[in-house]
Amino acid sequence: FKDDFSTSPHLFTPMSPYDLELPIQTASQLREPKELCTDFSSVDLSFLPDVTQDNKEQNLSEDGHEMQKELDGSLPTKEDSGGFMDESSLSHPGAAQPSPEAPGVCPPLTPMTPMTPATSASESSGIVPQLQNIVSTVNLACKLDLKNIALHARNAEYNPKRFAAVIMRIRQPRTTALIFSSGKMVCTGAKSEEQSRLAARKYARVVQKLGFPAKFLDFKIQNMVGSCDVRFPIRLEGLVLTHQQFSSYEPELFPGLVYRMVKPRIVLLIFVSGKVVLTGAKDRSEIYEAFENIYPILKGFKKPS
Amino acid sequence: MAARGRCPECGSGSLVEDAHYAQQQLVCAACGCVLSEGLLTTTYTDEEHLREVAYSQSTGQKEQQSRCLQRGTRRVQDLCKVLQLPAAFEETAVSYLQRALQLPAFHLASLEKKELLGGCCVFVTCRQRNWPLTMGTVCSLLYARQELFASVYLSLQRELGLSVPALSLADLVTTHLNSFRLFQRTADVPTPFLEDKEQLLARTMGLVELASETWLVTGRHPVPIVTAAAFLAWQSLQPGPRLSCPLARFCRLAGVDLPPPAHLRLKELLEILLGMASQLSWLRSFNLDRRTVVKHIGDLLQHRVFLLRNAFSQQHEDEQQDTTPGQDCPGQGSGSPSPPPVALQQGRPLAGRGQHAGTLRPLLPPCLIHPRKRPRAAAPSAAAVALTGDEPISDSEIEQYLRSPEEIRAFRKAKGWP
Repeated sequence: FKDDFSTSPHLFTPMSPYDLELPIQTASQLREPKELCTDFSSVDLSFLPDVTQDNKEQNLSEDGHEMQKELDGSLPTKEDSGGFMDESSLSHPGAAQPSPEAPGVCPPLTPMTPMTPATSASESSGIVPQLQNIVSTVNLACKLDLKNIALHARNAEYNPKRFAAVIMRIRQPRTTALIFSSGKMVCTGAKSEEQSRLAARKYARVVQKLGFPAKFLDFKIQNMVGSCDVRFPIRLEGLVLTHQQFSSYEPELFPGLVYRMVKPRIVLLIFVSGKVVLTGAKDRSEIYEAFENIYPILKGFKKPS
Repeated sequence: MAARGRCPECGSGSLVEDAHYAQQQLVCAACGCVLSEGLLTTTYTDEEHLREVAYSQSTGQKEQQSRCLQRGTRRVQDLCKVLQLPAAFEETAVSYLQRALQLPAFHLASLEKKELLGGCCVFVTCRQRNWPLTMGTVCSLLYARQELFASVYLSLQRELGLSVPALSLADLVTTHLNSFRLFQRTADVPTPFLEDKEQLLARTMGLVELASETWLVTGRHPVPIVTAAAFLAWQSLQPGPRLSCPLARFCRLAGVDLPPPAHLRLKELLEILLGMASQLSWLRSFNLDRRTVVKHIGDLLQHRVFLLRNAFSQQHEDEQQDTTPGQDCPGQGSGSPSPPPVALQQGRPLAGRGQHAGTLRPLLPPCLIHPRKRPRAAAPSAAAVALTGDEPISDSEIEQYLRSPEEIRAFRKAKGWP
């Protein structure tokens, strides 16, 4: 019997064992400071230590583009308390203000961990991962008649033989929901936590209008997906050699390298083009932290071999 | 005992499991309708929905452990024999199999997956001992779908905590070329097509290494690259009679399958070679195209390092390459294999290289050189970004999603409902 290493054509379809729908941005991820700030204004800054005068000056002089290093996991979870800070204003009572700025102009963010020395801040990547998908769940707390919902709602599809839930979509924010007969609902496709919550409320309202006593209990973000571009090609073969305990690179299965970071517990898909996808986060700070952790590692593979 | 689900006849939720002459049945307590009876095997989730499952997709968890292990061990032994693996591999693979079957993740997997478990263990063993075995080969030997094999392999890796080193391309080249039938006289291989194995191997290796350096390998399936490289190597060793032979015919003669991406890899390799040829002084006068460059592959590989440096712009600022003054040196026709002295200029401004870099193709993965146009997602508008998630929701917005009575009537009619 001769060794036969031939492979049949149908085996070459690239497979993704990871069921993610991710539009990977080709646009630059570098943002204006203004955009940066509004992204973070949902963060509760009240736990910050008071910023001294020295700190303030030092921070103001630094590049306005750096930031995520500061966000660690100590942010409050965004549970159904609905306790989001008002996005439009950054003034939190009791929190230290980095500097008095004109309204509409965002101050550069202060490093939140006092231990962070000034030098490490300048090494931060300056690239912000952009959130692409948020998956959240909510309990409507009432039994639902899915056939009835599919009959009375325009934006619903229900095929019980295929899947035991109604698939409902709304246009604004552009999301999809899976509504189960138990009253539990999964909302996917939003680009931010607030959008996800708003969308979930809209679905709940639709269900209410269809005559069910729907409530809005235990809203929880289950997964967040972000993506960004480091702007240089990466030698995946080298990365899998040096970080074998975290990486899995099987070009026969999937063109990207799967990096399972331990702290924070995030899975990163790293591609040869330099695009990175981060998933598995319950909070956006985890995504930012994971990216800041991987960036220096990837930079090490910047030079062609 | 009450079970979940609704009776299809009367819609009542009170279902009870009852035994009729020792045959299990699920009956509606309200109307007496029998929902299901005597299901032989089911997967766990399907049991809840009372759906029947094909035997091969059932878990077979009622099957005895020893039977399953026996079958798996036999499969492993057969595979090792077919692949002519060393004896130690079989022991390791069987030990992995035993460990795996203890875990519920595999013990309760579908029978289809259990069939593949033996093959996965062999595959993992080979990879750990740097024995070049591709998934494609194992799948074809097991008659398995690659998606299923992939999922079993990944869960095996995760559950047993195995570290599997990456496939070594160099070893793969050696074993892949072994299956080419071009080294001995046979009826359908014309004499000019026969080739010496060592020579072909050496040149194919060179081309594969070149492909690896020029970003053609990362993220791509390995076998098509090896096939394309072998083809080019074979052509270049005796270009005269072989240039007219296309890739498809070559694979047929060699008795190997032609993987579809091989054509693309061939194109990419030729593009790289053409770029390199433009830097080789004695080839400058020729107007090379994708066919004629094949004749010079030997030279191109020999001066590979130097040519790559000069033919493609390296985009990194801290790269110590300098190409502008050195560009004319090879033109002085020494043709010696040693590269000209490279001027190390650390702080070289990019602008000085700009005119140069503009004419050269950057050395990047093809996905970056030919990016597919994607519709850019609209940047979040200020209004969208300023969401709190607690905005009021207008009734009109919700009502747009509800059907009007006429629509409902029409829908009902279309579905044939009363």
